[in-house]
Amino acid sequence: MTTPSDEDNGELRYAEYVLGVLDADARAAVEREIAASSAAAAAEAQWSRRLSPLAEEIAAETPPERLWLRIRMALQFDARAEPAGSRLWGNLRLWHWLTLGTGALLVAACAALVFIFISRPPAPAIPYMAATITETDGQVGWTATMDISKARMIVVPAAPQPVRPGRTPELWLIPHGGRPIAVGLISTRAPITLALSASLVARLGPTARLAVSIEPPGGSPTGQPTGPVIAAGAIGAASAAPASAAALRLVSRPRQAA
Amino acid sequence: MNDTSTETDTLEQLLSRTAIHDRAAFAELYRQTSPRLFGLCVRMLGDRGEAEEVLQEAFIAIWRRAGGYNPALASAGTWLTTLVRNRAIDRLRQRRADTHADPLEFERLPDEGRGPAAHAEASEDYRRLERCLGQLDPKHSRSVREAFFTGATYKELAMRCQVPLATMKSWIRRALLQLRTCLET
Repeated sequence: MTTPSDEDNGELRYAEYVLGVLDADARAAVEREIAASSAAAAAEAQWSRRLSPLAEEIAAETPPERLWLRIRMALQFDARAEPAGSRLWGNLRLWHWLTLGTGALLVAACAALVFIFISRPPAPAIPYMAATITETDGQVGWTATMDISKARMIVVPAAPQPVRPGRTPELWLIPHGGRPIAVGLISTRAPITLALSASLVARLGPTARLAVSIEPPGGSPTGQPTGPVIAAGAIGAASAAPASAAALRLVSRPRQAA
Repeated sequence: MNDTSTETDTLEQLLSRTAIHDRAAFAELYRQTSPRLFGLCVRMLGDRGEAEEVLQEAFIAIWRRAGGYNPALASAGTWLTTLVRNRAIDRLRQRRADTHADPLEFERLPDEGRGPAAHAEASEDYRRLERCLGQLDPKHSRSVREAFFTGATYKELAMRCQVPLATMKSWIRRALLQLRTCLET
């Protein structure tokens, strides 16, 4: 091989960009060029065509179900839901794709999760609630769904910020005018199913709040939050949800230094 | 056209319907393409959590930017792969430390690619590329594959392969020019 010509060197920038060997500054420079020049964009597209078939060497791997839920949440695919008939409950695939026009996102997510984690399909008119815990960076930290008739809450991590080693997130219910009641420890990595006591279920309602705090292993030693509260929000009835359902929306607060 | 033209047509239709914010088409696009794209993210980032984050960002970008897809420039599969790889590379550049800093046993890397997981599904484009890669100096083709699959910079590749930076640049640039010539014939 001979030394590449000047013309080749110009063209090689796009090849190097597509291959991914440029550092951040050089990448940004090529990206500006592509945005400004259709010739540069065409050269970049041509190198993408040449090299991208290499991706076929990589084995496909199905991403976890929660990823699709997170994408739908981020894009606010939360339109209205039709009341669910009993047939629909058993149809996970339907729930999965229930964003089409009528699917209340939270309700669909809730139903899918309830279906996944509770083996017996619930009866159609079960009251349930769903919570989206959004962190300060806009990422959904957790999705919580509550099956009232079974007195259970399933808390699924979406993309929570990591918790400092030796600390654990704990979920609290705060009744209106009352003190926080521990719901249970949750995880930044795995779905957790929490049993809800009858008194706790009775306090779930439009005036109660939820909160997540960072606690020592095993949870707060005092029965009250001792660490920084990283998210909180009021329970609101979801206008788009079936009459039997309400939704929780958690509004995050700035995370304190842990 | 290639062996996967039917699938490609479908992906292109799904992408053009996504461009007009057809949620059903977007959901089907995700169903069809997310396993391959997730595999790519996991391979490049080496971390499943980060791979999920990058794929999430990528699909949000796909929803928002599908209108900018130009079928005259690239197949839908190429467009999607490129978008996801660029997101993964950007994420790699944000990392402070090179998490792949350990030197590679460069001579022990395979000369050939592993081949598509299901080789019968390999596109004609892939077969041509594989044939052209096979004509390169093995060190050069290994470097190209390593770069493609790990998103490493020239500098990182030189460190991993324990060769001078100028040598690595020379290997890859020659490989790219040879590939261009080979693919054009």
